[in-house]
Amino acid sequence: MADFDHAIITEEWDNTDVSLLETLDHVLNRGLVIAGEITIAVAAIDLIFVGLNVMVSSVETAREVLRRREME
Amino acid sequence: MKLYAYCLAADLDTLGDSPPGISGAPVRLLKIDDLAVLVSHAEIDAVPVTRNNALAHAAVVRSVLDQTTPLPFRFGSLVTEQQLRSYISNRKPALEKKLAHVRGCVEMSVKIIWQLPEDGNNQLQEIPVAEPQGAGATFLADKRRQLLGDERRAAQAAEIAAWLSETVSDLTRDEQVTVRSSERLVLSAAHLVERAQLRHYREKIGEARENRPELHFLTSGPWPPYSFANIELEFKTQFGVS
Repeated sequence: MADFDHAIITEEWDNTDVSLLETLDHVLNRGLVIAGEITIAVAAIDLIFVGLNVMVSSVETAREVLRRREME
Repeated sequence: MKLYAYCLAADLDTLGDSPPGISGAPVRLLKIDDLAVLVSHAEIDAVPVTRNNALAHAAVVRSVLDQTTPLPFRFGSLVTEQQLRSYISNRKPALEKKLAHVRGCVEMSVKIIWQLPEDGNNQLQEIPVAEPQGAGATFLADKRRQLLGDERRAAQAAEIAAWLSETVSDLTRDEQVTVRSSERLVLSAAHLVERAQLRHYREKIGEARENRPELHFLTSGPWPPYSFANIELEFKTQFGVS
């Protein structure tokens, strides 16, 4: 099962920026949530914006989390 | 002292050479109620969303993918060990159900981008509406064309989603699909694919790509099943969190 070592982006989109965006789309938007324990800081963001919705949705998720924390 | 939680897995007793975690911290295996959680110590109150941190999270979760199929935690999961133990103990039936659902599978991602017509006005003009008389009627006619255009795009997007789902239905255990007919990224799909079916799945997606040259495909994977790990709704139900 060695071929599971890396997520593979198809050749049409094989570049670092898109790989990063795909990773962000997965790790920021999805996964188990231990309610109230997502603590992220967007101020130090150094991500690359290329206009894909995956990025927009990831940033919106981050902002929503921060907004909720501010209301608590 | 807080822990940063990466993922949870069954059938994982030892941790091989794990990549470094958030802030370079070493990753260790924490056993809780027969389940294994990959964690690292965290001296921070919040996890900066940086390229390095995001990639570190992904790399740690991915590092066990050849041993088992984990349930990833979302980026930024900082907890005390007591909170983590309580969370798992309270949610164990739901977590085991999720683990059984994803066992032996990986997630494959398909994003489909279409060209929203740059000459949208010309296309909208082709939509037949009653010939307007006067400025107000012209405005209403344009509005009517716009609404009909939206409906047309929504129908096209739904057709694409149904077509893709049908194309891979024999090879997927589950799917999560988001359709946004008004945006360039019209469809984002996550397919839960058994590892043994991965080659056939890729062939099917390759055929699909050839059959619909007007669509741009962004496919990636295999991923840990990020899109199939959420038990937030069950948590809300049990604890009344809204």
